[in-house]
Order: sequence, then structure tokens, then C-alpha cells
Amino acid sequence: MMLVPCPWCGPRNVAEFRYVGESSARPDPATTSASDWRTYLYTRRNPCDWIKETWYHRMGCRQYFGLERHTMTNRTRPAESSR
Amino acid sequence: MSDTSSYSGPAPVARSPITPGPTRVGDGALSLNDESSVGKLLVHAPVDGPMAGALGTRFGRTAREAGDDTLVVGSGPGEWLVVASVQDLPKLTTWLEQQGEGDPGLVSVVDVTHGRAMMRLTGQAAADVLAKLTAVDLSDSVVPDGGAFRSSVARVATDVIRDDSGGIATSDRPSYLLHCERSSGQYLWDAVVDAGGEFGLTTRGATS
Ligand SMILES: [Zn+2]
Repeated sequence: MMLVPCPWCGPRNVAEFRYVGESSARPDPATTSASDWRTYLYTRRNPCDWIKETWYHRMGCRQYFGLERHTMTNRTRPAESSR
Repeated sequence: MSDTSSYSGPAPVARSPITPGPTRVGDGALSLNDESSVGKLLVHAPVDGPMAGALGTRFGRTAREAGDDTLVVGSGPGEWLVVASVQDLPKLTTWLEQQGEGDPGLVSVVDVTHGRAMMRLTGQAAADVLAKLTAVDLSDSVVPDGGAFRSSVARVATDVIRDDSGGIATSDRPSYLLHCERSSGQYLWDAVVDAGGEFGLTTRGATS
């Protein structure tokens, strides 16, 4: 079992959450190119390292929050702006 | 939203989604009662606005005015569950909407009485029963009387509300309200009955 530290509820079983995915900056739709928009929508870095992700606590506080997770060890730590 | 304050007919019927099954009679020390027919309002408002101040509690805690039947539960960040008798809902809704008008943020008050199931588990062994169904630590230091959280209970997203004084003449015993979506109510009831069997659980279906 993996514990996910929710900034509102504390550590909870991963089964209470929905994994939203790797977070990335959203380009301005008014000025972005089709290529950059496609990269934003579909391309993930997927490193073997710490990554910033978004999680949704569907069975708890029902909030989206940011989380940093190491993709090799599954260790987690709060993202800089986690709420 | 319709003008509920002008409603003067008979109190609306709130039918429970739970069929209690064969009554189990233990020694009375541990009981599970269907309280689905109790009125429930769901309020959304900014976490720290005037509406939050009027409701008088925050996420993870409950509030009850002395001698009042109305229980306000901080069920989520910016989310409250107001539990009251069905007869009180119209005036309560009006009062809540008045508080909401003074709030600059987005406020909503929705009657979810018919959309939810609610049951009350009371007794010294109540936490032991729930410990079989949820991973959250139910010790007094984590969930004292007046504490609330939402988590997986028997894999159902459930509000767990510690409300000892709301137990029926059992103020010295722990009492938990379990609140979930209506369609999961029967399943949650059956799961709690199953978990409570070894503790001598007594069940009682809806009274209205
Ligand atoms: Zn949470």
C-alpha cells in the first residue's frame, strides 16, 4: 500500500485518490503554437526522479492538490504550492 | 431556487434507501439506527467568509448550539453538512440563504435529504466496528467527540461524524453518524451489520 499525504486530510491510502497526472505549465491558448499545445496535452517528461504531480482526493476532501513523488522509490513530499 | 419558506403543507416524506433486514437484538450496548430520514442540507461557501463564520465550524469539526437539534458538520474544505429535522429545513434554508447573501464568494445551499443515506452507530465498541471498515485512526485523540472526517468506509466514500451527545440517551458512549450517497446506503448498512455481529450489534430501521 502507498500512503498519499493529502494537505487537507493527512496521509491516506492511495485507493482514496485519483491520479490526475504530471503537472506542467499551461501555455497561453491565444499565443501558443499547435505543436506546443500538443506537447502540453500529450507529452510527459516521465523522468526517473522527483516529479510534480496533481492528485484528486475523491473519497476524502474532494480537493485537487500538488504533490512531488519520486518515480523510482514512490517517496512523496508536499509540492511548493500544494493547495 | 424555489421559495421554500412559503411551504406550509405536510412535512415531506423522506424515505430511507435502507431495508434493515432481520432485526438483530444484542444486549443493547451497541446499536445501529437508520437515520436516513433526518434532514440534510449541503452548503458550499468560501472557507473563511461570512458564511463560514455563521456556520460556526470548519473542516473536521462539528458544532451544535446548546439544546438545539441542528448539527453543523465541517464535511470538507468550504463544505458543510447541516443535519436537522425535516420540519426545520425550510426556515433553516431561508436563514442559510440570508447568510450567503452577505458572502462575496460563491455560496450554495442544497437539500440532499433524499439523496443520501445516514445511520448512527452507538456504543463502547463502535470504534472497534469501524476499525474493521476504515483505515483512519478512531482513537479519542484523533477523532474526539465533535470530530468529523470523510474517508473510505467499506470502500464507500463516507462522512464519519463523532457525535456522542446526539446518541439516544447515551451521552457517555461514543456515537458515530455515517453519511453516504443514497445508492450506497444499503451496502454500507449491510457492511456495518456484518462487522458489528461479533460485538452483539442491535439494529433498528427507519422510524418514519
Ligand atoms: Zn483530502
